[in-house]
Amino acid sequence: MKMTKIYEGAHQWVMFGRDENKPDNIIDSNQYIVRTANKCLLLEPGGTELFAPMMAAVLHHAPVDQITDLFASHQDPDVISSLGLWDQALSNAKLHAPALWEGYIRNFGCESIEYVPIPDNGETIKIESVELQIIPAHYLHSPCNFHVYDSQAKILMCGSVGSAFEPANAPVFVERFDVHVEKMRAYHQRMMPSNQAKRAWIDRVRNLDIDILAPQHGRMFKGDDVKRFLDWFDSLQVGTGV
Amino acid sequence: MNSQTKSQFIAVASITSELSAVMVVAKEISLAAANAKAIAFRAGDKAKGFQPITDFINELAKETIELVTNINVYALLLYRLTVNEYRRTAAYNRFEQVAKLANGAHYANSMQEPITHAKTMMQDCQRQFKRDVTQLLGQLEAVMHHARAARVIAANSRIEASQAGEYLQSLQAVAESVDKAAHTIHDNVQRCRIALSIYRNS
Repeated sequence: MKMTKIYEGAHQWVMFGRDENKPDNIIDSNQYIVRTANKCLLLEPGGTELFAPMMAAVLHHAPVDQITDLFASHQDPDVISSLGLWDQALSNAKLHAPALWEGYIRNFGCESIEYVPIPDNGETIKIESVELQIIPAHYLHSPCNFHVYDSQAKILMCGSVGSAFEPANAPVFVERFDVHVEKMRAYHQRMMPSNQAKRAWIDRVRNLDIDILAPQHGRMFKGDDVKRFLDWFDSLQVGTGV
Repeated sequence: MNSQTKSQFIAVASITSELSAVMVVAKEISLAAANAKAIAFRAGDKAKGFQPITDFINELAKETIELVTNINVYALLLYRLTVNEYRRTAAYNRFEQVAKLANGAHYANSMQEPITHAKTMMQDCQRQFKRDVTQLLGQLEAVMHHARAARVIAANSRIEASQAGEYLQSLQAVAESVDKAAHTIHDNVQRCRIALSIYRNS
């Protein structure tokens, strides 16, 4: 499992992904942690198959008892089907996930972890001194979906938006945007069902100061590529992938 | 899922299936009892010995239904326990995998507590499963006892039916159906016991 520190300040962001040992028939996904002095938030914990390498990778950054918070943008298995295992490993943790999906996500096993439902209009969660905005991203692609914005680190964890599928040896950041576009097009046309939802998200996100766009699959965008991505996504007709 | 877990799931699921067949048969016995009572009533003195037997048959059917209903509730608990054990075992195995992969990680040692806890929980589930299976086998034995009693009643019914004159055939048919039902119950419950016996407390 590749680990890349993408922000280091009073707290840290680390991206995990490109697991070389994952089975070929399981899609690669990115996981992120926000690490503060005594706590650790795990964003998009991943699927069951990914649990062991992911947990092992996190142990380079935080002890088990300091993994206090999990976040799931939506209900898909590649995002959160490992919940039942985290549930048995963590003795004092909360899962921040969409209120709408609570009854669905609990199917993965959620007995000891506290499910903290996120309302449709989002909210703010605090990990020690770090305030994270939970931004609504409904219908992108799940009907109830959220992204996480850290105004200090200027990182937006943008879930499925910006996703692409890459081999295990691919770089973690986009290097040539014009080449990368073709890796994203079909996915966004098929997975994002609504131009209206896309427009609302872009309007919301353009008001944020973002250095890094961090999707759940594929490469991250930094610097000028953030604006390039927003412009490209803005002009893309979605819901047309069939 | 390993083959031991698979066969455990199959054993627990087969109990529910076998017992639902037992329930159907027990209801048939109850119906046969009602039928026998009506015939014995019509036969009057000719079937005097048969009349108390119909009450026995009915009582036996009722008790069997009650027992099987309780066992079904218990079988459901056993199924939940199997699911729980599967989850605990899966977690323990994954945690062991984490410990191997995290070799050299700064906080690798912090995994020890979840591993120990998962192992304890898994072993608790395994012990509980064996205890519950032993108890369930005891309950199944009670159903077998009822099936044996039903066969004795069927034999007595045949004797009484032979003295019932023109009602002989009808009453013998009742005796036959009770005997057949008792056989079915015995066989089905026996299959449950065989499926479960490998998991009982030694």
